[in-house]
Amino acid sequence: MKYESQGIAKMYFIAAIALFVGQILFGTIMGLQYVMGDFLFPELPFNVVRMVHTNLLIIWLLFGFMGSAYFLVPEESERELFSPMLAKVMFWIFLFAGVMTILGYLLVPYARLAEITMNDLLPTMGREFLEQPTITKIGIVIVVLAFLFNIGMTILTGRKTVINVVLLTGMVGLAVFFLFSFYNPDNIVLDKYFWWFVVHLWVEGVWELIMASLLAYVLIKVTGVDREVVEKWLYIIIAMALISGLLGTGHHFFWIGTPDYWQWIGSVFSALEPIPFFMMTLFAFNVVNKRRRDHPNKAAVLWALGTAVMAFLGAGVWGFLHTLAPVNFYTHGTQITAAHGHMAFYGAYVMVVLTMISYSMPLMRGQKAANVTAQLLEMWSFWLMTISMVFITLFLTGAGIVQVYLQRYSDDPLPFMVVQEKIALFYWMREVAGVVFLIGLMLYIYSFFAKGKEVEFVEE
Amino acid sequence: MADKLQLKRASTAALVSLLNLTVFPVISFIFLLLLYKKTSPNMIDRYYVIVGIKTNLVAAVALLLVSALMILLGGFDSPWTWVYVITYFVIVHAMFILFATWTLTRSWTGEKLKKTFLSK
Amino acid sequence: MRETFTKGMARNIYYGGAVFFFLVLIGLTVDTVKSLPKTDNSENLTEQVAAGKRLWEINNCIGCHTLLGEGAYFAPELGNVYTRFGESTEAIKAFIKYRPVDGIPGRRSMPQFNLTDEQLEALAQFLKYVDGVKTARDWPPNIQG
Repeated sequence: MKYESQGIAKMYFIAAIALFVGQILFGTIMGLQYVMGDFLFPELPFNVVRMVHTNLLIIWLLFGFMGSAYFLVPEESERELFSPMLAKVMFWIFLFAGVMTILGYLLVPYARLAEITMNDLLPTMGREFLEQPTITKIGIVIVVLAFLFNIGMTILTGRKTVINVVLLTGMVGLAVFFLFSFYNPDNIVLDKYFWWFVVHLWVEGVWELIMASLLAYVLIKVTGVDREVVEKWLYIIIAMALISGLLGTGHHFFWIGTPDYWQWIGSVFSALEPIPFFMMTLFAFNVVNKRRRDHPNKAAVLWALGTAVMAFLGAGVWGFLHTLAPVNFYTHGTQITAAHGHMAFYGAYVMVVLTMISYSMPLMRGQKAANVTAQLLEMWSFWLMTISMVFITLFLTGAGIVQVYLQRYSDDPLPFMVVQEKIALFYWMREVAGVVFLIGLMLYIYSFFAKGKEVEFVEE
Repeated sequence: MADKLQLKRASTAALVSLLNLTVFPVISFIFLLLLYKKTSPNMIDRYYVIVGIKTNLVAAVALLLVSALMILLGGFDSPWTWVYVITYFVIVHAMFILFATWTLTRSWTGEKLKKTFLSK
Repeated sequence: MRETFTKGMARNIYYGGAVFFFLVLIGLTVDTVKSLPKTDNSENLTEQVAAGKRLWEINNCIGCHTLLGEGAYFAPELGNVYTRFGESTEAIKAFIKYRPVDGIPGRRSMPQFNLTDEQLEALAQFLKYVDGVKTARDWPPNIQG
């Protein structure tokens, strides 16, 4: 760790991991509710559990992104963070807002929460992933703006590299597109149309910029490959991300009452969306192959490669699977979507944050890399989580295929709930895989505390 | 030692092999066969042409033949057939693509396969 | 990547591509918004429907159901529920109204939201309005959603 203020990332990462645990716990509850419909009913109905599951994901990824930026930006900019104090204050504000929101979901009925937080003044609640009370949304905007100011000032007054500028661009995009969450027209088609300006342009747009720059940073560090080479790759990856992803938004405009031309535009451009993820895989393989050193932090290298591969599988392959309009006609809003969502979020965003944590945490704890035992455990947790996520995806895909066949494709379509009972076996297997994921996560956390032989490393 | 032209041909072969697995099947394979003629034994370009041909032949069997068998045995009208065929095809296909991608990066440095990711 | 392809070229593709396609997205958005009245059933977007949408939101219906395929996949699609329930808002209202408070043993069940008759009517009218949106190829594929 070259700059003291990089250490601020640690608190962000700890919060991220803690919320991650919450996310997975609620995930396993939901998984059980899929097969035991009355589990925790009516105290914790499915919609509340799901909201906690998805919102915790968003909050902890934001913690992860911000932590990553606080670690990366000072080093890339070759100066201390503009205001470490501001970063700390914002941490506590964000944590408070996040925890209060989750508690709000859990402790009072959602309609009551809307009343308490005066949703009527500016109604923004109750839309998927944007369930946060308006006041929380405003809080998110404030925190993100303060964060942008902080890293922006650091970058602008320091060294500007392709990596930190791309990261900053991605973060600015994140903030800008989030503003669409405050637009909630009564017209359902308009509402849905602009809702995607947050959701799609985040995960299939600007977040890819953040992801690519974080991955590029870690890969430079662990492989020692020339920055020029990495920067060229980074540009071409994010170019493809935006070229395919911006109009790729059209694959969400197939069936919501928007004009027919989106069928073509959405299909063609979203069919290109695997390209940036494929290029990330090619890039990661390439620099690891051309590496100039074997970094002692093998776990971080594994996470980086894993990110590249799993993002390609989850976002690229599983996205492509149902993105063409004639296919999506049958698969839209089925378990196929759930399958894709799980692997894409894990492979791209969860894993890139865990890559950053894996690389930076030992440095913040005064080591070059974690000890041998800790790394071994971390790599075990990598495989447990990654393989169980592959299985979650496969089981949901299986469930989705049967669902599509019986409920959508068949000449004599069956009602939704009848089909759900027929695919219960898939849900049971998914739940088992989910529990294995949770075990992997526990092992991951334990790895931070494991004692063992220090790694040997060669000076650069 | 391999000269520049051979190295270029080696990476072309690896790229064409990848293309055959993805966007231009069959045509790329024919191109790969033509490329074979230009290479000579024991050279790096020949090595990658062979790797490409082998990869794609194995992939053809694993993907097309096995999937076709699954459909034949499972029946066209059963949802369970499609559960197996689609998930199998997607995941195995992705594995071949990943393998070909790794092969491509190896060809760029002019080395043969072997070396693993994490250790020497 | 070969030496002939420089970092500068990659950067230009990024900036050029991003700006170009962002402008195209804005252009298409303007066109979409302009042409929406043909399909979006806005002629039936009454105050009551708007109130129904608010109720839909503050009860987090999307946390279990899909609406035109978007939402959670735990409970049936509601974009065509009006059709599925025999074009009867009464049937929709009755369904929501008579959900058992403690659920149905062993099965998924919808919570009892304790809505007033006026609220039930607004919610049903909202679902009727959504059903009236003209989606491409008349999605969902069939009545089961």
